[in-house]
Amino acid sequence: MDLFVAIVRRLSQICGVVSALVLAAAVLVVCQMVVMRYILNESTVWQTEFVTYSIVGATLIGSPYVLLRRGHVNVDLLPLYLPHGARMVLAYLASFVALAFCAALTYTGAELWYEAWAGGWTTDSIWRLPLWIAYAPIPLGVGLLCLQYVADILCLMTGREMPFGLQPGDQP
Amino acid sequence: MSPLEIGVVIGIVTIVVLASGIPIAFGLGAVAVGFLVIFDGWGSLDIIADTFFSGLAEFALVSIPMFVLMGAAVASSPAGKDLYEALDRWLHRVPGGLIISNIGACSIFAALSGSSPATCAAIGKMGIPEMRQRGYPDGLATGAIAAGGTLGILIPPSVTMIVYGISTETSIGRLFIAGLLPGLMLTVLFMAWALFAAWRGGYRFSLTDAGYTLRQKLQILPRVLPFLAIIAGVLYVLYGGIATPSEAAGVGALLCIVLVVVIYGLFLRSWPYRRIWEILGDSMRESVMILMIIGASALFSYTLSSLFVTQSIAEWIGGLDVNRWVLMAMINVFLLVCGFFLPPVAVILMTAPILLPIVTSAGFDPYWFAVVLTINMEIGLITPPVGLNLYVINGIAPEISLPTILKGALPFMLAMALGIVLLCIFPEIATWLPDAVMGPAI
Repeated sequence: MDLFVAIVRRLSQICGVVSALVLAAAVLVVCQMVVMRYILNESTVWQTEFVTYSIVGATLIGSPYVLLRRGHVNVDLLPLYLPHGARMVLAYLASFVALAFCAALTYTGAELWYEAWAGGWTTDSIWRLPLWIAYAPIPLGVGLLCLQYVADILCLMTGREMPFGLQPGDQP
Repeated sequence: MSPLEIGVVIGIVTIVVLASGIPIAFGLGAVAVGFLVIFDGWGSLDIIADTFFSGLAEFALVSIPMFVLMGAAVASSPAGKDLYEALDRWLHRVPGGLIISNIGACSIFAALSGSSPATCAAIGKMGIPEMRQRGYPDGLATGAIAAGGTLGILIPPSVTMIVYGISTETSIGRLFIAGLLPGLMLTVLFMAWALFAAWRGGYRFSLTDAGYTLRQKLQILPRVLPFLAIIAGVLYVLYGGIATPSEAAGVGALLCIVLVVVIYGLFLRSWPYRRIWEILGDSMRESVMILMIIGASALFSYTLSSLFVTQSIAEWIGGLDVNRWVLMAMINVFLLVCGFFLPPVAVILMTAPILLPIVTSAGFDPYWFAVVLTINMEIGLITPPVGLNLYVINGIAPEISLPTILKGALPFMLAMALGIVLLCIFPEIATWLPDAVMGPAI
């Protein structure tokens, strides 16, 4: 089990690096587009779509890493005031509800990806980007997000992690 | 159940689910999907991925990570410290100069980053210890930074304005201009209160401190002016309608990073290049968090409108036939309460599409309303239970108790409420500049 948790965490970290690199690439492409359009007065073909979809991709791929770092903002008022036991129950509930949503998103995302791939869907622009490329981050990123949730729940069960990262004595 | 009743149930369930401490993005998504399945059957699951994806695949949204990156380039590098020091050196001689320069630094940083917690953290890290050392009361020092930080979402560029613009299909450039004067007005109100409070608290401004020499004042300028030039450039490009917000933000972000690398890496050699990862990583985390909420909100508003909740609420309020100012007061209270519990981006995404038709049909300007809504959100950022800025300050200065920070922040909340009242009496504060620059709204 340690191995599973370690592998999932490592995958999430890799996702974080990939996401940051895609973000950096998007910045460069935006600038290249500005130079083309406003300085060289040429029309741009692929840049707008590339940047839009890479930001979507970076978001979805980056989400497991952000979960690992507890970076998804939440309302932790109630957990903060509850005693440790109740906090534990709440953490399970919250994790399972979130996992259910992520699983649904992964599943439908995979379906969407498959349809786009099998049907040869492309975007409407002249660039005609195959949509399966744009959709791929949904099953990939959110799928890993599910795995990260499973790992988090396992850690919660075995006492490796405290619910909401709060120690038993942490009351305001 | 009538759509209105469904709406009430969804509202209650959303509050309960989010209170569990679940990440807001996944909580919103789960509620949306749950209600779709209950009322429309399993077949409705098909649209989840597509709706989520389409909610994110907007070129205008690209500006969010870009502006976040622009702010992080300064906040996660020595540039933030220099910016702060420059203001201190130049405003040193002004009575109450330190607290004034802190609030001023917040508003300038707000013009760089578009995010309130980031503004708060960047200025607070330097400002709070400095103010305490020079004898300002704890509550005032922390309150001023907490409140000054909220300007991040009002003074352009502002992440919440981008989100408002996308979810209500209004012009982001125009929204930015609309926020400028109200932002400056709040800055002045904050400064006025800070001066008065410091004076009343027995703090006497002495001019006998060892001042800075002209040489010291000039020395720091080359490190700061380029960043200010970038802000000015980005705003000019935006307001002139020369480029879209995403393009301006992208170029601004790259220039800020290049500047940090050149000034601190190449020139001063005080900043190892590998720390560029910190900038990238910090902005990636912040943008992923915001964008996931945006994607989930797309699902949430899809559910609301496919169950006719959005339309019914608008109809119901339209049928109430109350005075438009009573309506505006009600909306303000509602937004304020939402802001107490949820971060601004989530509130705007969930409520703006419902509220905007109501507000415009009551004869209010959508850009003016964006400003009022944003100030409401700012108040929520420094009020418990979920005042993000309060916790940021608490993290920076753990030795100051939360109640002290709160008490210090309270007068600034009143200043913001005063700001809303002023905006209601003189709507021109928000509408004059956009009209003058971009021509009257249609």
